Amino acid sequence: MNYLLPTLRKKEEIDRIIRDTIDKVLVLRFGRCSDNDSLLLDDILQKSARDVSKFATVALVDVDSEEVEVYVKYFDITLIPSTVFFFNACHMKLDSGTADHTKWVGKFHEKQDFIDVVEVIFRGAMKGQMIVHCPIPPERIPKYQLLYKDV
Amino acid sequence: MMKPSKKSEIEFCNVCRLHHDQGPRHKYFPRHKDFLSAFLGRFRSKLADVRFFLRNPILLRPQEESQNRVWCVFCDHDIVELGSSFACSKAINHFASSDHLKNVKQFLWKHGPAMDCIEDFRISEADVAKWGKKCQSLSNEDASSYKGSSGQLSGTSNDIHNKLAFETMDRIENVPTHHINSHLSNDVKPLQYNTYECQISHSGLPGVTQYGSYPNMDASHFPLSVDPLSHLPGNGFDKHSIPCRSKNYSGNGNYSTQENNPMCQDKKQVVGSYSSPGVVGMTSISSLHSSYDSGNVHSGAPPPWLDTNDGNVSNVQLNQSETSSFQKKIAGKTCKLNPKRVGAAWAERRKIEIEMEKRGLEMNSNTDADWLPNFGRVWQSGTRKESRKEFEKEKRKLVKTDSISIEPEPVQIQPYISKRARRESGE
Repeated sequence: MNYLLPTLRKKEEIDRIIRDTIDKVLVLRFGRCSDNDSLLLDDILQKSARDVSKFATVALVDVDSEEVEVYVKYFDITLIPSTVFFFNACHMKLDSGTADHTKWVGKFHEKQDFIDVVEVIFRGAMKGQMIVHCPIPPERIPKYQLLYKDV
Repeated sequence: MMKPSKKSEIEFCNVCRLHHDQGPRHKYFPRHKDFLSAFLGRFRSKLADVRFFLRNPILLRPQEESQNRVWCVFCDHDIVELGSSFACSKAINHFASSDHLKNVKQFLWKHGPAMDCIEDFRISEADVAKWGKKCQSLSNEDASSYKGSSGQLSGTSNDIHNKLAFETMDRIENVPTHHINSHLSNDVKPLQYNTYECQISHSGLPGVTQYGSYPNMDASHFPLSVDPLSHLPGNGFDKHSIPCRSKNYSGNGNYSTQENNPMCQDKKQVVGSYSSPGVVGMTSISSLHSSYDSGNVHSGAPPPWLDTNDGNVSNVQLNQSETSSFQKKIAGKTCKLNPKRVGAAWAERRKIEIEMEKRGLEMNSNTDADWLPNFGRVWQSGTRKESRKEFEKEKRKLVKTDSISIEPEPVQIQPYISKRARRESGE
């Protein structure tokens, strides 16, 4: 599925897509093409990309690439797949009831969940909100445990 | 019986739409004043529209009569333009009448404000006189040009169609008066020509020629030889931009050909149309196009939009001139977006940068290798920027440690010897 969505392997490419996506939500999936969960997520992203194309752009980032490491560290990506949302080069937070509001960790249950999340982010961003509440019911949100460095 | 000084009969204020018992004092209340200013403001805007038609008399089409209504708030009277030949003629006459003036005075006396703004709500007789003259000159022009026309049109249909003609005439500059006003000929299918493009035809050329890609029609191209069609109104009708409008009308097609043809020779071809009696639900346009030397789609000729350098040049010129309007368009779009949206200021700047890059201007590349988007770390407390600062601090430390120590000192692994053992060995 990777061949249908742009896969970014360099920091420049990521920078460019972040800077060039104006007034639209940018969805960056950090994952690996060999990882099953990433592939499942990619499938959903690829199928929904067209539906959200008017207000969102979707791209995939390969975490194994060297140049991408700075972003992996910057976003504290420890579990993959992780999806980070941007709007006008601003990082959008999503309160899904999990410990990490800065990204979505794991896969989406179905296409509509992903579309709902992107829509909520877009609506919130257009109103000037930098953090939005996740519209998905808790049972469909992947659970995980964050390990902090101090713990 | 003493009447209570502060109470009076309950009455309804039209302006505030409120029942009150404040009596004549009501008009001085600030609430009433606010409502009144809005009320009069609305009427002023309506009157401004009517004044526009006062300055520029335009013929009124029957189908637009219903849209041309005005409610006079002072007289509580709906002015409908039934049967009037010029737009807002009844409204203009009403606003100039003495009854209206009386009602205005009464209203202002009852509701305030001061009486000095009476003139705002009526039209003076001098203006009406001027308007009348303009209308007369318009109708004279129509009559004279009508006489000059070769079409022997039926009486009833003339009025309607002339109205159509005049409406567009007013919008075209430098329209010669000897033009043939044919209602029938210049009507084309609605999607062929854009209204604005037709109205650009200042020189009185028909809308067809404005595209630039259509070759100019010489006299030789006129289908003088096409006898069956020569009686059609499509034959060389004038330079009106009536092609832009799609109207349904019936024509009797009684045109004399002799007068038509000389006119044809001087003028550009206009697509004409007529509705023949036997055809229902469609309008046939004149097949004068078949006289093109350049051929058509059936003969495999190149399409007009890829034709002639003139067309291309004009397109290029248009493009260059439109780039400046693109920015305005973009700016227009951003005006609609919420200015309080996330990253709005950044987005505006970025759009301008992109626009300038497109034009080829060299921008100072702000993208350095260390650019990062607006924060990103996991953080639960504090501001977003703190997480960014933390990240940068760590990054700097990492860089320092890398630069300082290139080779780590070899670590000697030794077994642990307790103090006692060391003491004993030392002893």
